[in-house]
Amino acid sequence: MRLTYLAVVGAPLAAALVAALVRPYRRWAGATGALLSTLSLAGALRLAGQVLAGATPTWGPSEMMRVDALSALLAVCVAFVAALAAWLGPGLGRDEHYTPAQARRFRIFSSLFAFTMLIAVTANNVAIMWVAVEATTIASALLIPLHVSKASVEASWKYILIGSVGIALAFVGTVLGYFDYVHLAGERQSALNWTSLMAAAPAMHPRVMALAFVFIVIGYGTKAGLAPMHTWLPDAHAEAPAALSAMMSGVLLAVALYAIIRWKVVVDLTVGSTLPDRLLLVLGLASLAVAALSLVGQRQYKRLLAYSSIEHTGLMCVGLGLGPLGAFAALLHLVNHAVAKGMMFLLSGRILDRYHTTEMGEVSGLLRAMPVTGGLFAAGMLALAGLPPFGIFFSKLSLVRAGFATGHPWLMALVLVLLLAAVVAMLAQINRMLYGAPPAGVRMGESNRWGLVPLALCAALLVALGLGGFGAFQTLLDRAVEIVSR
Amino acid sequence: MDSAFGQLTVLGSSLVLLCGLTLLWRRGSAAHINAFAAQSVALAATAGLIAVVTGGRELWVVAVIFLGLKGTLMPILLKRMDRRFGGPRELEPYVNTATSLVIGGLLVVLAYIVTWPILDVSRLPTRAGMPLAMGLIFVSLFVIISRKKALTQVIGFLALENGIALLAMLGTYGIPFIVEIGVFLDALMGFLVMQIVIYRIQETFESIDVEQLNRLSQ
Amino acid sequence: MPLQTGYTVAIAQTALALLLAPGLVGLIRWLKARLQNRRGAPVWQPYLELRKLFAKEVVVSSNASWLFRTAPFVVFASTVAVAFLVPVLAAPLPFDSVGDLLVVVYLLLLGTFFLALAGLDPGSAFGGMGSSREMTVAALSEPTVALAIFALALGAGSTNLGQIVARTMADPAAAVSPGYLLAFGALFVVTLAENGRLPVDNPATHLELTMIHEAMILEYSGRYLALIEWAAWLKVLLFFSLLGNLFVPWGVATVLTWAALGWALATLVAKLVVLAVVLAVFETRVAKLRLFRVPELLAVSFVLAVLAITVSFLVR
Repeated sequence: MRLTYLAVVGAPLAAALVAALVRPYRRWAGATGALLSTLSLAGALRLAGQVLAGATPTWGPSEMMRVDALSALLAVCVAFVAALAAWLGPGLGRDEHYTPAQARRFRIFSSLFAFTMLIAVTANNVAIMWVAVEATTIASALLIPLHVSKASVEASWKYILIGSVGIALAFVGTVLGYFDYVHLAGERQSALNWTSLMAAAPAMHPRVMALAFVFIVIGYGTKAGLAPMHTWLPDAHAEAPAALSAMMSGVLLAVALYAIIRWKVVVDLTVGSTLPDRLLLVLGLASLAVAALSLVGQRQYKRLLAYSSIEHTGLMCVGLGLGPLGAFAALLHLVNHAVAKGMMFLLSGRILDRYHTTEMGEVSGLLRAMPVTGGLFAAGMLALAGLPPFGIFFSKLSLVRAGFATGHPWLMALVLVLLLAAVVAMLAQINRMLYGAPPAGVRMGESNRWGLVPLALCAALLVALGLGGFGAFQTLLDRAVEIVSR
Repeated sequence: MDSAFGQLTVLGSSLVLLCGLTLLWRRGSAAHINAFAAQSVALAATAGLIAVVTGGRELWVVAVIFLGLKGTLMPILLKRMDRRFGGPRELEPYVNTATSLVIGGLLVVLAYIVTWPILDVSRLPTRAGMPLAMGLIFVSLFVIISRKKALTQVIGFLALENGIALLAMLGTYGIPFIVEIGVFLDALMGFLVMQIVIYRIQETFESIDVEQLNRLSQ
Repeated sequence: MPLQTGYTVAIAQTALALLLAPGLVGLIRWLKARLQNRRGAPVWQPYLELRKLFAKEVVVSSNASWLFRTAPFVVFASTVAVAFLVPVLAAPLPFDSVGDLLVVVYLLLLGTFFLALAGLDPGSAFGGMGSSREMTVAALSEPTVALAIFALALGAGSTNLGQIVARTMADPAAAVSPGYLLAFGALFVVTLAENGRLPVDNPATHLELTMIHEAMILEYSGRYLALIEWAAWLKVLLFFSLLGNLFVPWGVATVLTWAALGWALATLVAKLVVLAVVLAVFETRVAKLRLFRVPELLAVSFVLAVLAITVSFLVR
């Protein structure tokens, strides 16, 4: 068990080390990194299997790290998208638009990024979780301006400043939680363990924990891209290299939500679930509204995808505020979104490489110029729009059912209206990209065909998850929901 | 609460907060850097005081790290950055000074109201200073929002971290040591990364006026 | 204490304040001169000025109205009224029952208001300019006076100045509490602002760019000018008494015996001298602030006062 966990978190760390030591950059260093990321994914799947079998592995002094069903679910997602980014990112392909130095920098920091995210989702100690989430900001901020330009530098500044401020606020919440626990139970090394907090939760002071939760939601919510703290997100995700955007949109937002979920479970026991639910509903709705309105006038496809991430994170947040059924919808949505968004950003990277423009108006005839890419792109867009048979359709359905079940019919009506607006905006734009004739000077036919294999796999996965998924996945999801809605 | 220890920690916290308010008052990066350095020294002194009275060895280490890292090293690095890309001496902030100060005062009162329920939980003699720490957190947030120079925003962020550290110190006599170390490393790394990004900003925009960062606006 | 003695002491206290005020200002001027390496006028020069001014003829502008003639009396009377309420020598005194912190602030404001009007009345350019500047300064400094002393009042449980003094004497540890120190800082800055000292206003200048108080009284001459100057000097003494007696109250007489009063007089003179030295050194050190920076300084003192209140509120 220990070994598996070590493989999961150690592999990306080793990959970063390899990339750092190999100067100048060589392709085998990138390939090693990609192989290590696959090892990490395998380890995560094995951990998930162990958790399904009933074990809850722990690690470290005073049980700093702990893997339960929720952690395992997220670890698999993170490892999967990280592996995608490792295989398809700069430094391994043939048509390279990045210098070896840039490729090396990408390898080092994206592996560190994956490492910190894996630590964050498997930490039992909420302070370690916080340190890891802060570290994700640091690791990713340096990669956004991989191609130095005014836009990317501006994006990275906004990202690191707003992200760090948000994380600092999350730390205030953590300190307040620690403060309450310590004054209840006396100081102990394991005072910051989530398990200890859960045990002591019913006895803690409601007002302190409520205040702490507000800070937590605002703090981690900034990292998750919840409105009104979302202003950094469209810029950062649009300007970053495609593989990094895939990781940031796909799983970093999910990791931030995971942190909120962990705290919510504790606070629900102390304060009752009314306040946390209401807070999450408000923020989720605000994000949905902001995203839906902003999607209407978008002109660049990467920004479109970024705002779509805000929309989906908002949806997940709404789901978290709607009780157990909503939590199920949110978690299902989380997994589907991770796969779909990862795939979409990587596809957008291919489109950018071919068309050399990020403006949707200048991209046309995608299905003719790059048929497979275009086809997968269309499929992904349909998936994100929430059409069957893709998984997001079912998670949205569950969400609406949850809303009606908890007595928020008007809320759900509003959600549906906003979703409709978002979907229409996205599909209209994408249609223009897919059809018509490609502009002159654009090479026809796919390049780097092997790179399409993982992406096709993603599409297949999306369909599979939609059609009912794998039995094991369902069980894991159910166990995770159990943890969330205690 | 009338104990000398409690009074002195409140005095230390007031000094830390006053240095934070100085960020709203004075213009010019040199004054800001000095205010931050003074704030870190005051914070280290408060930590040392608490360490002396409670006999916590870890707090001594924390105090020394504060003095060394935030009181000495970071101001030196900041001054070096300022020399290299100081740019125009005084940039008009978004909110003028007098209004900023009044807002700062109101934020401290707000921090009071917010922290009121927490004071009942703690029985420690240092709890009187917690609203001041929270006030510093709010004031630092305001500094980050309302200042135009990237360097000042970084200093505001560092002051925010000081406020959080003060809150932890006053509320629970510090946090577990391993966490403290992790936080310090994070803070240091974050600061270095911010330095790098500001350097990039200077390279591409030839100024560190964040008003120039407005190309991505849709 | 017997009521008659109390009233007598109060009147004597006010007379004493009136008597000492020119000397205090003379001392400050002499110290500044010495610090600037000049010989300076002797300490009793302001008395000679007053005598000269009372003897001189009054010249009044033809544009001036009744306001111009009555303003000096209002200013002088209001300042003397404040002298009755501030614990200069002894506390508590019988006049305390009608006066407390808010009355003091209003009386000061009354004086400032009439002086500003008097600056506007003759219609000269300098007067109008001085009045508008004075109002800018007063707008921020008057509330700060109230707030700073209110911070102390929170601890004493009453806005009665005598009570505040008594309470601090009873509880010495409070004098070094952060609330007191913050309030002292705020009040010190306000003293500078209210009395037209550097860095807010230069009392010795007659340059258009830099004067505030001097601009308002530029048209006055003879006994009117004497009354206004005397009132201004009395204000300095009263603020110094506030600073000294509220924050370091030891020496203030609580019983009305000759010994206590004599001791009170001695400590008062000592505190005034110390504060005069501090002010002289400070004024020599500091340059005058540009006018649009003055609200910033006053905002700082305002925030200090607010902080003082919040901190005192907690410690209570």
